Amino acid sequence: MGALTDKYCIVGVGETPHMRPSNRTTLSMACEAVSKAMEDAGLKPSDIDGMTSYQAADSTSSAHVATALGMRLNYCLDILGGGSSTEALVAHAIGLIEAGYAKTIVCFRSMNGRSGRRMGGQVPGGPIPVATAEGDNQFNMGWGWTTPAQRFGMSAMRYLHDTGCTTRAFAEIAVAHRYHASLNPKAIHRSPITIEDHQRSRWVAKPFRLLDCCQETDVAAAIIVTSRERAFDLRHPPVFIMGGYARMMTENPQWNYSRPVLHYVAGNYGWKRAFGMAGISHSDVDFISCYDAFTFTTLIQLEANGFCGPGEAGDFVKGGRLKIDHELPSNLSGGHLSEGYTHGVQMVIENVRQLRHRADDACPGWREGRHTYDRSKGCRQLRKARICCGMAWGWENMASCLILRGIAA
Amino acid sequence: MAVTIDYTKLRIVPDPDTREWWEATRRHKYLVRRCNRCGHKWFPPNIPACGKCASMDAGWFETAGTGVIHSYVVVTQPIVGAFVGAVPYVVAIIELDDCKEDDGTVTRVAGVMTNDESEVAIGLPCKVVFEETGNPNIVMPRWQISGSAEKTWRFTE
Ligand SMILES: [Zn+2]
Repeated sequence: MGALTDKYCIVGVGETPHMRPSNRTTLSMACEAVSKAMEDAGLKPSDIDGMTSYQAADSTSSAHVATALGMRLNYCLDILGGGSSTEALVAHAIGLIEAGYAKTIVCFRSMNGRSGRRMGGQVPGGPIPVATAEGDNQFNMGWGWTTPAQRFGMSAMRYLHDTGCTTRAFAEIAVAHRYHASLNPKAIHRSPITIEDHQRSRWVAKPFRLLDCCQETDVAAAIIVTSRERAFDLRHPPVFIMGGYARMMTENPQWNYSRPVLHYVAGNYGWKRAFGMAGISHSDVDFISCYDAFTFTTLIQLEANGFCGPGEAGDFVKGGRLKIDHELPSNLSGGHLSEGYTHGVQMVIENVRQLRHRADDACPGWREGRHTYDRSKGCRQLRKARICCGMAWGWENMASCLILRGIAA
Repeated sequence: MAVTIDYTKLRIVPDPDTREWWEATRRHKYLVRRCNRCGHKWFPPNIPACGKCASMDAGWFETAGTGVIHSYVVVTQPIVGAFVGAVPYVVAIIELDDCKEDDGTVTRVAGVMTNDESEVAIGLPCKVVFEETGNPNIVMPRWQISGSAEKTWRFTE
């Protein structure tokens, strides 16, 4: 038993649809996501006394959302952050609750990630007409090396060189996550794909093809964290936070050219801490989530978090290992690759739903936790979903992890 | 094969920490930062302190501008207008020959190389060249293959 065991819970989750475009403000979307998370938990605005969010100077604030929904908060904060921030805000919420600053805290992300500010600086309608390269951008935009695909492609190429892995391993990730999206009515892309479909898709930044890259969508998503005492009074069986690490860095974090191994990522430094905190080993994990900004990012997170050894992920994922009903199901909502792009929140949301045994799938009784487990009829609920390891990432340099436990099944 | 970049669509803004670096490229010099206390070298030059000893006494080291390709990516979908006419182009990370330190620390830089992916492989030696941009204040360093190597690796499908 670790220090956190059974003390803090995720009790509510909610999100808007994935839209392209939303034609809505980030404030409007955030209010919808927060309202849905409250409804999911069985909480009223007056029950919420803390709110945090993360953004990239592209979103609304906690104070705006609280004002709109008539909340009077004891704590609010909006941070700059990308992938891996959801788990960090959960860690932060735990600290606030433990210290007595707030009791029940909403964490949200709202973004017009497709129609508004896109990752890597791309503007709606095509390339940036005249780009200004200042700060860090002096030393990447000047050589046309700006987008996440271009940046991570460099690490991926070195990974292929170092490990002998091929892009068919990337394809395994795309195929597994797409299969899960096919079982998720909320997903943007629901048609199953094959390894060959992946291999035939067009290049974006070699070694990445189109089907290596995540979807960009307009969406808001929210989760609610509270203490065990409150959690048991609420609508769903609580999901307990067992352990994790939050926005852990590599050395030389901001400029990754000169790190000894380009694809040695922050998770390598964190997983022993997370598993130790949770008091579990990898064999206790029923399913995982990975920050799949790209197929490749899933591979290196599996290695970094000790699910396989360095350079072994290509073999590890072969044969559909990450698919539902196989050894280690991953990103059961379809993830960023196929469901849509929430900057990481959706992984936590799906993990919570699975651990409650209430995946919102095609089964008529999902709200009561009744599932058919018949994939041909659109059931995506795992039979056994007790412990989940969620692995998140910002860049190579930054990572989080959140190990959760359910008591529903 | 030279990559054609439309520099009228790219505005580089040097800052107090990088002005000397851009001035050096105008004289066709490729600089990296060097710590005046412990000798550690690093890139990019907008980092104002030494990652080994935290000194802010950051000087400069003039490299020979030669190195070995450590990794590369082939960009086919540009998002900066200046590079729309340049695709496909290869960006590489280059490990500099003369910045290796006793404890194994290396300094790597990055830059555009070529339109022709088949020229490029991990392990090949390369050298810096300097390209006029039409803006007298900015000369852009680029990289070219400068020889062959026994052991190289190239992406294949
Ligand atoms: Zn120093």
